[in-house]
Amino acid sequence: MQVGTMDLVTLVVFGSWLAPALASAENADKDYDSPFEYDYESLRIGGLVFAVVLFVLGIVLIVTKKCSCSSDKPRPKAPDEETAVPIAQ
Amino acid sequence: MFSLSLCFQVDNSSLTGESEPQSRSPDNTHDNPLETRNVAFFSTNCVEGTARGIVICTGDHTVMGRIATLTSGLETGKTPIAKEIEHFIHIITGVAVFLGVTFFILAIVLGYSWLEAVIFLIGIIVANVPEGLLATVTVCLTLTAKRMAKKNCLVKNLEAVETLGSTSTICSDKTGTLTQNRMTVAHMWFDNQIHEADTTEDQSGASFDKSSVTWLSLARVAGLCNRAQFKAGQDALPILKRDVAGDASESALLKCIELCCGSVRANRDRNKKVAEIPFNSTNKYQLSIHETEDTNDNRYLLVMKGAPERILDCCSTIMVQGKEQPMDEELKESFQNAYMELGGLGERVLGFCHTMLAEDQYPKGFAFDTDDVNFQTDQLCFIGLMSMIDPPRAAVPDAVGKCRSAGIKVIMVTGDHPITAKAIAKGVGIISEGNETVEDIAARLNIPVSQVNPRDAKACVIHGTDLKDLSQDQMDDILRNHTEIVFARTSPQQKLIIVEGCQRLGAIVAVTGDGVNDSPALKKADIGVAMGISGSDVSKQAADMILLDDNFASIVTGVEEGRLIFDNLKKSIAYTLTSNIPEITPFLLFICANIPLPLGTITILCIDLGTDMVPAISLAYETAESDIMKRQPRNPFRDKLVNERLISIAYGQIGMIQAVAGFFAYFVILAENGFLPSKLVGIRLNWDDRSVNDLEDSYGQQWTYEQRKIVEFTCHTAFFVSIVVVQWADVIICKTRRNSVFQQGMRNKILIFGLFEETALAAFLSYCPGMDVALRMYPLKPSWWFCAFPYSFLIFVYDEVRKLLLRRNPGGWVERETYY
Repeated sequence: MQVGTMDLVTLVVFGSWLAPALASAENADKDYDSPFEYDYESLRIGGLVFAVVLFVLGIVLIVTKKCSCSSDKPRPKAPDEETAVPIAQ
Repeated sequence: MFSLSLCFQVDNSSLTGESEPQSRSPDNTHDNPLETRNVAFFSTNCVEGTARGIVICTGDHTVMGRIATLTSGLETGKTPIAKEIEHFIHIITGVAVFLGVTFFILAIVLGYSWLEAVIFLIGIIVANVPEGLLATVTVCLTLTAKRMAKKNCLVKNLEAVETLGSTSTICSDKTGTLTQNRMTVAHMWFDNQIHEADTTEDQSGASFDKSSVTWLSLARVAGLCNRAQFKAGQDALPILKRDVAGDASESALLKCIELCCGSVRANRDRNKKVAEIPFNSTNKYQLSIHETEDTNDNRYLLVMKGAPERILDCCSTIMVQGKEQPMDEELKESFQNAYMELGGLGERVLGFCHTMLAEDQYPKGFAFDTDDVNFQTDQLCFIGLMSMIDPPRAAVPDAVGKCRSAGIKVIMVTGDHPITAKAIAKGVGIISEGNETVEDIAARLNIPVSQVNPRDAKACVIHGTDLKDLSQDQMDDILRNHTEIVFARTSPQQKLIIVEGCQRLGAIVAVTGDGVNDSPALKKADIGVAMGISGSDVSKQAADMILLDDNFASIVTGVEEGRLIFDNLKKSIAYTLTSNIPEITPFLLFICANIPLPLGTITILCIDLGTDMVPAISLAYETAESDIMKRQPRNPFRDKLVNERLISIAYGQIGMIQAVAGFFAYFVILAENGFLPSKLVGIRLNWDDRSVNDLEDSYGQQWTYEQRKIVEFTCHTAFFVSIVVVQWADVIICKTRRNSVFQQGMRNKILIFGLFEETALAAFLSYCPGMDVALRMYPLKPSWWFCAFPYSFLIFVYDEVRKLLLRRNPGGWVERETYY
């Protein structure tokens, strides 16, 4: 019965000593791993923005250039006036 | 077949192409049923008169029915572009099967199991097949068809869009196609001189001198001795467009007089008709008697028109410069010469004469009896001749000239008379200045026709009856040796034989026509072109292309567009095929070198069906590099759509550079992750093993299966993006086959659009959240995009240098080996 309480105290003392050690070990891991971490989220966002910008630019290019080009084109020639007069139809 | 007829005339133009009504009688004049006068045909129109007859053939046995059977029984062959695409498919299939089988065997030899070897085989074949190409070709042809429709060429069969570009011979019908199908007054002879009238549709031609009194008399006779009338309610329309009730020659005269001298009806009202004898084939003239408009003069005016020789016989005097002169031998001689000359031009000539009837013999109120002629019909005063022709359409001579400078042979095939056909051929340019037929040479040198060397005559006119007797070899001989040919009096069957003869010589034949008699030839030809407005429904059904405004010049447009799309399809195919090599080589190295798979099947499909589509289609919008209308038509046996040179460039040169670019990106990513290239060779079995979760890289790091696979799929994405980057350069170099890109310019906006969209799609596929689960495509670090840039630049420089060498050394090694 006294053995149980004594064990508990030893466990608590041991644990409280271990915790900061564990904490510091975690911090060290973080710094150690940093060359292996990469910010994929901002990469994705950046990439998607790039994709949307290019897409819109392409559409704009088509739409505006088509308008200005068609005003430059000469009016299509009116078809020659020829009739075939039907004979006694 | 007729038993009885009275002034009966039929218009055979829908069957034979003759614009003049033919008179029919119960006499059997000819063995040929098309020529004889006692037979009329189903579906032709009766113009005037009455007749009674018996039906001798019905349904399929009629001439019309026989044409219909002939047309429907014809098998249309493959279009030239279909043949080219089939040839191309054979090449691609050959390469794919060869590679597939080779590596299948290699895989077996290297120790893979049967199932794995079969999977490799399938993978290689999938990578070899350009999946997006069929869609690309269809879209390219459709875009061209739309462009042609804007220019009033309706294309019924998509592949026919390209056929005109490959055409080397055009067989054209005359009536209604090359000509306007309306008789027009072309020449007049009076005052001992031939005068030319204006036959253009919009009266833009030269006018003749109208001041002579003789002309006024001539115009009066032509207007009065004429039963044609304008139909009611057409005063607002221009004269040439008005509908006329009456036969073709009289309509022509009516319009001519109306144009030159003002309202004919007013003139007729002022000179009231008292009696008339209508035209009949026995008399060969037409006569009418009028009251003059001069109220003080009580004499009657007798006017007469008809066949020139008959009119001349009835005349004793001739009007020159408004004064009556007795007819002498000299004047008769010049009349004969004029008549010969006008007849030789293939025109229909009519003579005109008049007289004022003496008042004492024919007082006012005299009862003229037209059945039992009780008035003078001789001692008349001859005025002049007028001749009529069905003139060519305005745009035709120019179009024929352009076709000939494009190397296309133009042949006239018509059912009309040889003389008219030859005259029109000369007028249109089919028989050019300075080229003579054997008959012309014989006439010029005054020697019999048999003595003329046939090789001297570049042009020839062949009658339908002669055609029947020709053997196939003789026909081939004629078609080969003469550059300018006119076939006259041909039946629909013979038109077909002519087309077949041309096709036998290896030509690609276009036929233009508008009547029922053209339909078998239209169907048999490689491309049949029908007139949209004046064409019969039968011909429009049989044809592959319809000219919506009847403008023959649209054929030139068709040729230009056809040649352009053929060139652009070559470029498009070269572009699409190039990406096959960077798709196949990962698989090959995967099998042989046992490296982790550099490019997966999903990414291959993203290229073929995703990013490569828009740039490939945009190449169809490229403008021509050099003047395509100055080239000869392509030789269907030698100039193929896809030849070994194209394959050598696409697969052997540019494709290889692209593959290296992809592999470069692949190795860079794996190296950055810790797997140096040396470590990768032979690692495949462990790499793909699910149970190995501690695979070591060059730095000793251990990788689980999932982690490795993420790197592998990132490599697939990077390989895919590298292909996109090198395809930028590929589409720019494929814009031109000979010119430099700087010469051609970047005016093709669709291409630039394609470049942007391609890149946007690649970025989207890489970076969109969820792509890693859906397609297993992972976001790429920006630096990895730039891996392929130097290779892209290399492709551009390589091809520019190649094209520079090609331009500097025409006919040299570079051109022979690499110009596709």
